[in-house]
Amino acid sequence: MSEKVSTTNERRLTIARAMAEAIAQEMRVDERVFVMGEDIGGLGGVFGNTRGLIEEFGKERIRDTPISETGFIGAAVGAASDGMRPVVELMFVDFFGVCMDAIYNLMAKNTYFSGGNVKVPLVLMTSTGGGYSDAGQHSQCLYGTFAHLPGMKVVAPSNAYDAKGMMTAAIRDENPVVFMYHKGLQGMGWLGTEAGATVNVPEESYEVPFGKAAVVREGTDVTIVGLAMGVHNALKAADLLAKKGVSAEVVDLRTLVPLDRDTVFESVRKTGRLIVVDEDYHSFGVSGEIIASVCERDLSVLKAAPRRVAYPDVPIPFSRPMEQFCLPNPDKIVAAFDTIGGA
Amino acid sequence: MASDIVIAGDLWDGDEQAVVTNWFASDGATVTQGMLLAEIMVEKTQFEVRAPADGVLTIVRNVDDIVSKGDVVGRIA
Repeated sequence: MSEKVSTTNERRLTIARAMAEAIAQEMRVDERVFVMGEDIGGLGGVFGNTRGLIEEFGKERIRDTPISETGFIGAAVGAASDGMRPVVELMFVDFFGVCMDAIYNLMAKNTYFSGGNVKVPLVLMTSTGGGYSDAGQHSQCLYGTFAHLPGMKVVAPSNAYDAKGMMTAAIRDENPVVFMYHKGLQGMGWLGTEAGATVNVPEESYEVPFGKAAVVREGTDVTIVGLAMGVHNALKAADLLAKKGVSAEVVDLRTLVPLDRDTVFESVRKTGRLIVVDEDYHSFGVSGEIIASVCERDLSVLKAAPRRVAYPDVPIPFSRPMEQFCLPNPDKIVAAFDTIGGA
Repeated sequence: MASDIVIAGDLWDGDEQAVVTNWFASDGATVTQGMLLAEIMVEKTQFEVRAPADGVLTIVRNVDDIVSKGDVVGRIA
């Protein structure tokens, strides 16, 4: 898995490669770590995040499963409860229905039910997001669905540096972590690659701590909060707003559970305006939670009503024009600012 | 002496065209032989392009460009 480092210190990786590198490094130093999922062996994962692992670690530790999420995610919960450290892939988060009992009634609650005597150090990695016409059962984000339920940490990286550090932290965590990676950020080509996600990544192992949002662009007039693909839309919107003389600050949440409400609040206290970008559904989700975090703490920091740019409350269309119409994008963020910018 | 970075003829079966999906090194970067430089995709499968020599990279074919076997995607001088 390791790559030679160029003399200019460039070492760009896609998120797909960064995830595989983090898993490989933890597997080398901890024999309890193993991986299960569909097409994670010879194929290297549909989204490239287990490439090279079966060649190095073999079939015993890189276990290709049948299409049986109910079975193998249940098995992973048992293995984790018994001292192993499984990394298990739910290929599309949309498939959560058949395995939600294992995820939410077992994985997330066993530590609580046992009075802290049973630890469940399990990483559930799962792909999110659309934009490439894969329709309503292969394109959802469902961030709010998982973040809503207590007992699991939930993370969603926007770039390869964070993806590697958060995967390393997830594997070392004593608690269950849901690692939600956006398909359009994987660098896989056919999924609509976002170039900004492929960044320099140190070869040595490191952790990106959970619960710390990142201010990825500083500004004074409006705070744009996003996660995963939303961060890249926010950064592009910030470029467009700058041409209009508006200074936008962009906050990358990175972790949903635990949520860094302080960084969001401090940013809004400075700018006075808030737009939340979320590719998950508009209602009852992350965007509403972020807005509530600010309003509950101190309504007076807001110069204008908060806005959200999220997915409309409809099933995701297969038709490319219809799906693109529904997705958040930089122009929609600029339009949202135009409704509050004069305040 | 300059070395061309050529799409090898035996990288995949058949004569399908590929698309450049990632450059991991920048134009003008110093690279070393064997280093991962780029990925190209045929259908939904990605293939690695590695540096054939040490030197300074010039990118000839950019991300999203369509390439065929035998095409020069970059040069190292």
